[in-house]
Amino acid sequence: MAAATALCVSLFPAGAWGTQLTSISARFSPERLGAPTALSLGFEVHTPDGSLPSALTGLSFRYPPNLGIGTSGLGLATCSPAKLSYYGPKVCPANSIMGSGSALAKFQVSPEVSEETAGIALVAGPSQNGYVNLLISATGTFPVAARIVMSALLLPGRLQFSVPLVPGVPEGPDVAVVSVKATIGGNLTYYERKHGRRVAYRPQGIKLPRHCPRGGFHFDATFSFLDGTQAQAQTVVRCPRG
Amino acid sequence: MRPMLRPARTAIALGVAVATAAGSGAQAASRGGAAARPRPAHAARVMGVRDEGSLHYVSDDATLIVDEGGLSGTLPGRSRVYFTYNGSPNVSARFVIHAAGGAVEGRASCLLHNPNSPTPSFRGALQITGGSGRYAHARGSGELFGIFHRRGYGLIVQAIGRLRY
Repeated sequence: MAAATALCVSLFPAGAWGTQLTSISARFSPERLGAPTALSLGFEVHTPDGSLPSALTGLSFRYPPNLGIGTSGLGLATCSPAKLSYYGPKVCPANSIMGSGSALAKFQVSPEVSEETAGIALVAGPSQNGYVNLLISATGTFPVAARIVMSALLLPGRLQFSVPLVPGVPEGPDVAVVSVKATIGGNLTYYERKHGRRVAYRPQGIKLPRHCPRGGFHFDATFSFLDGTQAQAQTVVRCPRG
Repeated sequence: MRPMLRPARTAIALGVAVATAAGSGAQAASRGGAAARPRPAHAARVMGVRDEGSLHYVSDDATLIVDEGGLSGTLPGRSRVYFTYNGSPNVSARFVIHAAGGAVEGRASCLLHNPNSPTPSFRGALQITGGSGRYAHARGSGELFGIFHRRGYGLIVQAIGRLRY
């Protein structure tokens, strides 16, 4: 397990010295070279004094380009962003679901900072310019029932997220997403037609290369915040042993 | 159901053109006797090729899929394709066609459409870069059309072009 457990290396603020501190995590399950796997990615944002971080506006997550995300067999159907936003992931085709996770958001209810946990669904959206478009639906129920949908373009070696601003209380700061954990692949059920019958199957998932890159699988992320600052974080998944 | 590939271009006329310098070489041989016997004339053949086949998955290395299968058409044989898809719509393929008398090697760069479809299609330019046996000096170009089965990693391919060997 220790062989490929993600090392969470903390931030490297870029540009203006950010007031946000960031870290990322990555993990493969199972950890076997040459085999299909599920990829768990996560990030955390906080401030040194525990105050509400500035709202996240963008995130560029770089992953090793030799990971077989394009050949994963995930996202064989698409869900429209409008449908996903209005009704949630349950109305999307089963073959469009690419993963799941959870998020923690914080918002100011003066003078207190409240937080809300949201369930995340990763869903394939209509492709953009030939690239796979990943839709991330975050649904919270308490204390505020709300759903936001953001999108991420699956580029070779990079997931480029666009994060919409979510208004907090009137005249208060925007909601800050402070933690996300999501898994691409995993325990999913897809369906296919065989001899006229609808048959369930489990999609393979992301293919790991047969050989480990030198120094392990490197991941890094650049965060952009509403206050104009940026922050960077990186992590390495060590090569599986044996 | 097997998808139909409908290339926009019509098939290139088939035929074998043999360029010979043999006539003049033979005359020189008769004049100069056995000592000045010319080497056999090099015959450059140009062939219009239209091949297609359904290939099955053999192995992979994450972004690289290796498929094999039979090809039918003007250059029938067995083909092995190394297909690379890393999430970019610009996909690439290397291929070897083992035909009667030798093998033809080449590569192709294609654009993949509808990546979220279970069977995205691709189309692009192919180049024949060499070979072995009677195709040892093979060169050529053309177009490659195909369908990638994302569930089972199979490929349906169609190649149209001109082969010089």
